Amino acid sequence: MGMISLDGVRDKNVMQLKKLNTALFPVRYNDKYYADALSSGEFTKLAYYNDICVGSIACRLEKKEGGAIRVYIMTLGVLAPYRGLGIGTKLLTHVLDLCAKQNISEIYLHVQTNNDDAIAFYNKFEFEITDTIQNYYTNITPSDCHVLSQVIAQNHRKK
Amino acid sequence: MGSSLPQKEANLFKVIVKSYETKQYKKGLKAADAILRKFPEHGETLSMKGLTLNCMDRKSEAYELVRRGLKNDLKSHVCWHVYGLLYRSDREYREAIKCYRNALKIDPDNIEILRDLSLLQAQMRDLTGFIETRQQLLTLKPNHRMNWIGFAVSHHLSSNVSKAIEILEAYEGTLEDDYPPDNERYEHGEMLLYKISLLEECGLLEKALEEMQKKEAKIVDKLAYKEQMASILVKLGFLEEGEKVYRSLLFMNSDNYRYFIGLQKCLGLYSENGQYTSDEIERLDALYKSLKEQYSWSSAVKRIPLDYLEGDKFWEAADCYVRPLLTKGVPSLFSDLSPLYDHSGKASILEELLLQLEDSIRMTGSFPGRTQKEPPSTLMWTLLLVSQHYDRRGQHDIALAKLDEAIEHTPTAIDLYSVKGRILKHAGDLAAAASLADEARSMDLADRYLNSECVMRMLQADQVGLAERTAVLFTKDGDQHNNLHDMQCMWYELASGESYFRQGDLGRALKKFLAVEKHYADMTEDQFDFHSYCLRKMTLRAYVSMLKFQDKLHSHEYFHRAAAGAIRCYMKLHDSPIKATTEEGDEMSKLPPSQRKKLRQKQKKAEARAKKEAEEKTEEEAFSGTSKPGKRQHTRPVDLDPHGEKLLQVEDPLLEATKYLKLLQNNSASSLATHILSFELNMRKQKILLAFQAVKQLLKLDENNPDCHRCLIRFFDKVSSFPAPVTDSEILIRNVLEAELPKISQLHGRSLVEVNQSFLEKHKDSLMHRAAAAEMLLVLEPEKKLEAIKLIEDSTNKLAPVNGALGPVREWKLEDCIAVHKLLETVFIDEDAASRWKARCVEYFPYSTYFGGCRSSAVAFSVNHNIQNAPENGVLAYQEAKSEESHSLNGKLHAFKDLTI
Repeated sequence: MGMISLDGVRDKNVMQLKKLNTALFPVRYNDKYYADALSSGEFTKLAYYNDICVGSIACRLEKKEGGAIRVYIMTLGVLAPYRGLGIGTKLLTHVLDLCAKQNISEIYLHVQTNNDDAIAFYNKFEFEITDTIQNYYTNITPSDCHVLSQVIAQNHRKK
Repeated sequence: MGSSLPQKEANLFKVIVKSYETKQYKKGLKAADAILRKFPEHGETLSMKGLTLNCMDRKSEAYELVRRGLKNDLKSHVCWHVYGLLYRSDREYREAIKCYRNALKIDPDNIEILRDLSLLQAQMRDLTGFIETRQQLLTLKPNHRMNWIGFAVSHHLSSNVSKAIEILEAYEGTLEDDYPPDNERYEHGEMLLYKISLLEECGLLEKALEEMQKKEAKIVDKLAYKEQMASILVKLGFLEEGEKVYRSLLFMNSDNYRYFIGLQKCLGLYSENGQYTSDEIERLDALYKSLKEQYSWSSAVKRIPLDYLEGDKFWEAADCYVRPLLTKGVPSLFSDLSPLYDHSGKASILEELLLQLEDSIRMTGSFPGRTQKEPPSTLMWTLLLVSQHYDRRGQHDIALAKLDEAIEHTPTAIDLYSVKGRILKHAGDLAAAASLADEARSMDLADRYLNSECVMRMLQADQVGLAERTAVLFTKDGDQHNNLHDMQCMWYELASGESYFRQGDLGRALKKFLAVEKHYADMTEDQFDFHSYCLRKMTLRAYVSMLKFQDKLHSHEYFHRAAAGAIRCYMKLHDSPIKATTEEGDEMSKLPPSQRKKLRQKQKKAEARAKKEAEEKTEEEAFSGTSKPGKRQHTRPVDLDPHGEKLLQVEDPLLEATKYLKLLQNNSASSLATHILSFELNMRKQKILLAFQAVKQLLKLDENNPDCHRCLIRFFDKVSSFPAPVTDSEILIRNVLEAELPKISQLHGRSLVEVNQSFLEKHKDSLMHRAAAAEMLLVLEPEKKLEAIKLIEDSTNKLAPVNGALGPVREWKLEDCIAVHKLLETVFIDEDAASRWKARCVEYFPYSTYFGGCRSSAVAFSVNHNIQNAPENGVLAYQEAKSEESHSLNGKLHAFKDLTI
């Protein structure tokens, strides 16, 4: 019933990402977050539904020891009225596909321990809880978080 | 040409001419210098050298050489022609015409000069001269198509249409039967269409029709042919044939409103004022239903029925019309529906309909009577439409509440922020409107429209500096002002000038207003190239309509606003002359006279230096630019008066104002503002009879207008205070007035006090009329000040007859109430009454910053000391500065997200 499309984040439209984050998350992100998102290139995307921006995925590319790159998902979110339409799935699969294409083997993220919906969502995409960090958040309760991660097999999803 | 020179030099002279025509100026200059080495005083060579230098931006040398050349050879048509060309390049057309005429005295049959002269005559609308010159050209070269056409056009322009037709037919008579050749088919077809439009213009409709049928095969522009055909058929009353043509036009373009109107006319179903009988409505309904089946993709065919349908049928049609557009998300939907609000009945139906749609989507996710779920965005678009509906009806609080809900729903939809800004502007909070427009802009920095809208709002809120910095983001090279000027960005210059005027900065205001005036002068200039181009290309219909457009160019609204603005500036300058306009001026007045003189000398020197530097700079660039001719045009003299301070130092501001008033009187005679300005200006100039003319014009246009009433009373009050006439002119004025007086019906046998009283009686329910009557009472009987103030205060703000479903609307307009407040403050000079008025209006207009309404940003900001904070998703930042500590902003926290810090 609606058209979903993805678009990159640039200086000219980064405000859309800020608007989404303001609406979606109880945290105010700092300049570094946006700098990381902009420099991650294709790994950060806005999702449009009938030409309205309604969701986003923002990633940071991290260099591991030895020079390999891993992807950290900073945020993934869709405006409440537009959930359940496959927009989150489209955003996440875009990033997973990109990882496979670029032979990036590790992708991970943090999630608040009580956020069952999110954990279930990531489980569907073969993410697993690999660690739990106490007192990760300073201003929200519960303050603990899980680390969800996935090791992407080489050539997996490759076209 | 080049006569009286030996062979070698004569050849060199030809080189100069050739080089000039091919723009190889350096080569031409060399050849000229070679001749001048042997014959230093040869007139024609001197002239041509001057003309060449003129093209190399060496103006002063050019004039010197051309004049010297002419002096040495007064009998040479070349020298005169060159002199004319030089003047023409400086747009001194009258001087240029004189030169050409002198050249023609020496060489009457010179085709080139005649052609150049005819262009100038067309430009200056010297129609008699134009006809003469074109006739001469035709006689000299009758085998040239352009000469026939030019002669015909010259007659058309001086309204001799039948003569123009005769000439075109004579021209056709010279053509072979197999004309035109393939490469001239378009031009010939245009000529035929032009001729047919002339036949139509002078009412020879049968002949026009016959001509069309005969020449159909030769007319290339089939669309224009059909449109012309339809128009002639309708005028002849051949409605059935007309219908056929309009239907075939609709087949080509089913979204052209003119074709629908044409078709309705052919069917006898068209009324100018949109009023139809119920029988007509039924037939219209049937017509559009069948058209809709045929053209299901046309939006016009769906939109037009909303104009004539009424009642339940209107409801049904409107419902069908808006639903798909709400699903799709069409931000311009409200402006599409907006004209329907002129019928209050339709406005109420729309209100009910929209609320029903909103309700249904909110509750069930579908439109009423449907089971199919709408996309989530439909609710947001519906809320936007409902909000704009309430804005239009003046219920700003409901409008804003609906909009906030939409923003809460989809905080990323940019249109919501733009519209919120617009509503806040209507509600009287210009600062908040600007800040919302800025928020919309920030969401898509690549959108020029959002940038422009934001700049406009900032100017309306008198944030000129900020507006300028914002506008610059979209002008090339970041070269700010000059560039906006080059782009003839008049809305910007007007809004900026009006803002400076409000802030009392008359210099900058004048600068902007005069810049707009300059653009119109440039547009008049711009037609010059078309006189030759259009005749050559045969785009005659477009050419003539362009000339007619140019003839009333200065009646355009932007010019009207600029001229009115300039006149107001000059009048203000006259009322309170500025002694020391600049800061330096203030400083100067503190200094002892001896030092003052020194300082002044210093300033003069500095100015001269700046000017010289600027000139040198342009000249340098001109030299370096000769190798790259394209670049040279971009250099411009440095603006020596960026703040318009020099504009303020006019001898006689009222004289300057008169120039612009004349343009208004000639071009905007049907506008009240023109005559009100004329009244104000002529009263200041003590031109009694001219002021009286303005009063007469005003009464003719609208005797019930409050401002017209003011002018009437003020004029006769002033006249009655004059002492008995002594001089001849005073006696003359008195006599004229006495002769004219019986024609003013308002004044028959009544005193001014009575006139004012009866005006009040007649309009006692209108705030602005009461205010005008009160003000005039104060003028006539100053001792009745309290009574006058009571007149204003006794006005009541009634409920408007349109009855909104969600609350009452009052009649008074914000701008009127502000005007009344200013009246109490500055004319009645009564602080108490003014503050009583303010206290009353603050209830009616809670968003108004002027009245300090409780919901306006003026109050919110002063409480929170928080103006700098950017607004947060459409909510002006009343909260404290946000940090990571701040919690829910939009109330939706969890579900489907993860975070990191």
